[in-house]
Amino acid sequence: MTIEATTDRTRAVERSGFISKRRVWIFLLRSVIILGFFLLWEIASERWIEAFLISSPSRILKSMIAGFRSGDLVMHTWITFQEILIGFPAGVILGIGLGYAFGRSRLLAEVFEPIIIALNGIPRTALAPLFIVWLGIGIWSKVGVVFLLTFFLNFFNTYAGMRQLDQEFVDLARLMGARGWRLTFRVILPAISPYVFTGIRTSIPFAVIGAIVGEFVAATEGVGFFIRQAAGLFRTADVFVGIIVLMIMVIAMDKVAEWIERRALKWQAASEHVTIQG
Amino acid sequence: MEPTGYSARSGGDDLVIRIEEVTKAFQTPERGRLIALENISLNVPYGEFITIVGPSGCGKSTLLKLIAGLTPTSGGRILYQGAEVRDLNTRVGYVPQESKLFPWLTLEENVAFGLDSKRYSREERERQLKHFIALAGLSGFEKYYPAQLSGGMSKRASIIRALAYEPPVILMDEPFGPLDAQTRMVLQDELLKIWEQKRQTILFVTHDLVEAVALADRVVVMTHRPARVKDVIEVPMKRPRNIFEIHRQEGFDEAYGRLWNIFRHELNIRTH
Repeated sequence: MTIEATTDRTRAVERSGFISKRRVWIFLLRSVIILGFFLLWEIASERWIEAFLISSPSRILKSMIAGFRSGDLVMHTWITFQEILIGFPAGVILGIGLGYAFGRSRLLAEVFEPIIIALNGIPRTALAPLFIVWLGIGIWSKVGVVFLLTFFLNFFNTYAGMRQLDQEFVDLARLMGARGWRLTFRVILPAISPYVFTGIRTSIPFAVIGAIVGEFVAATEGVGFFIRQAAGLFRTADVFVGIIVLMIMVIAMDKVAEWIERRALKWQAASEHVTIQG
Repeated sequence: MEPTGYSARSGGDDLVIRIEEVTKAFQTPERGRLIALENISLNVPYGEFITIVGPSGCGKSTLLKLIAGLTPTSGGRILYQGAEVRDLNTRVGYVPQESKLFPWLTLEENVAFGLDSKRYSREERERQLKHFIALAGLSGFEKYYPAQLSGGMSKRASIIRALAYEPPVILMDEPFGPLDAQTRMVLQDELLKIWEQKRQTILFVTHDLVEAVALADRVVVMTHRPARVKDVIEVPMKRPRNIFEIHRQEGFDEAYGRLWNIFRHELNIRTH
């Protein structure tokens, strides 16, 4: 039996000289483009385009520092983050749970599927004002919108995974005595985990969108409120500050999810990078 | 010939499986009721190696699914260790056509999957695992994921996964079908060696006549749909057998000849 393992890492080591040189070039090129963009922006501001329309990188940086110093920006960020911190996990867990239940119970699926699809037809952000009416202008109405957007994406992805699930895996596991908890967590959920993670990761930006839309509609705090207020006063630099905060939030959450996904789907990565013959 | 073959060893209590006039029909949208199996009767004593051959699509796999309780019978009944199979039969091991190792578990975790923590202590589990992995020549690959294993290795792992928790009966559904001829022979040889140590009852579905004769104590021949038991052939070859020179072994020609005669008849009907 011959074993022949080629991993990305060993291949990278073999050609490391070439790879690193190329990487450096790409990095340099990218930096030049980004710096050039900011430089152009800085020059264009006030000279070619009114500053209240596009602000400028230096003004944005100043605003950001001022915002953090006063604690104002931190407070708004924390509020928005809280809304996501409650609504997002709730939407993820319930979405996965219901998607799983639909996959397991034909009756449940047959009765509720058309209803869920109809509900999915509603542009969900349009429900934000209703949530304000129901839950007030505090954080809970935003939690509701975040939950709603997150829930549907996770539900549909998990349910899609359940429909793709190879029944033979389930049959085999049951023949080997797996039931209940073990069948769910050791067999079914791992089998559909690529779908589940797709749901989680695609729902991250939508969770942030949910919070912001809620805050746009009616709020007294939060990044969405901060942006709207700044725009109303033509403090364009602050608008950009708010956008940057949101961007960082999405990227940070995605990085965490990616890190978890990589660990959970290690078995899949194995199939891509290593082949053994024998 | 129904009910078929009480072999030399048989007596009521030696039987692990009794299949009594079992019928299986499916409801299909286009063609209505489709009879897959009709009036199948078969008695299987403990420790016997039975192969089941028949034209493809004749319902051989369905018979295994019925014994495993994965699907209910439409008529007749199956007794397993004296009790009727009504629900999932967790006292059988199942080796599917493709290896179907759980890709998210390592080889070791796959093989250990059926080792119930209530029946096996931690040390027993470890011992059992080590023993079977060594038996299949997979030592050193314990931590590998299925995607990192070759077809032959996956197949071995799939077989010992079914053997490890020691069910009295192993059902094998054309397990060597998709493999190349060489790997196939090596695995047949290994399977016989393992079986000679363990002597679990094996029901092995195949469409390869040589394989059917080489492995079996008895070969069950099934007809084209609706599948019935056409004949049951005793294979008089001694054990242990040498798979690599099976043609030279005494008794092979006789059994194969009889099997081929029956099969030729089946083929004639179909080619006209």
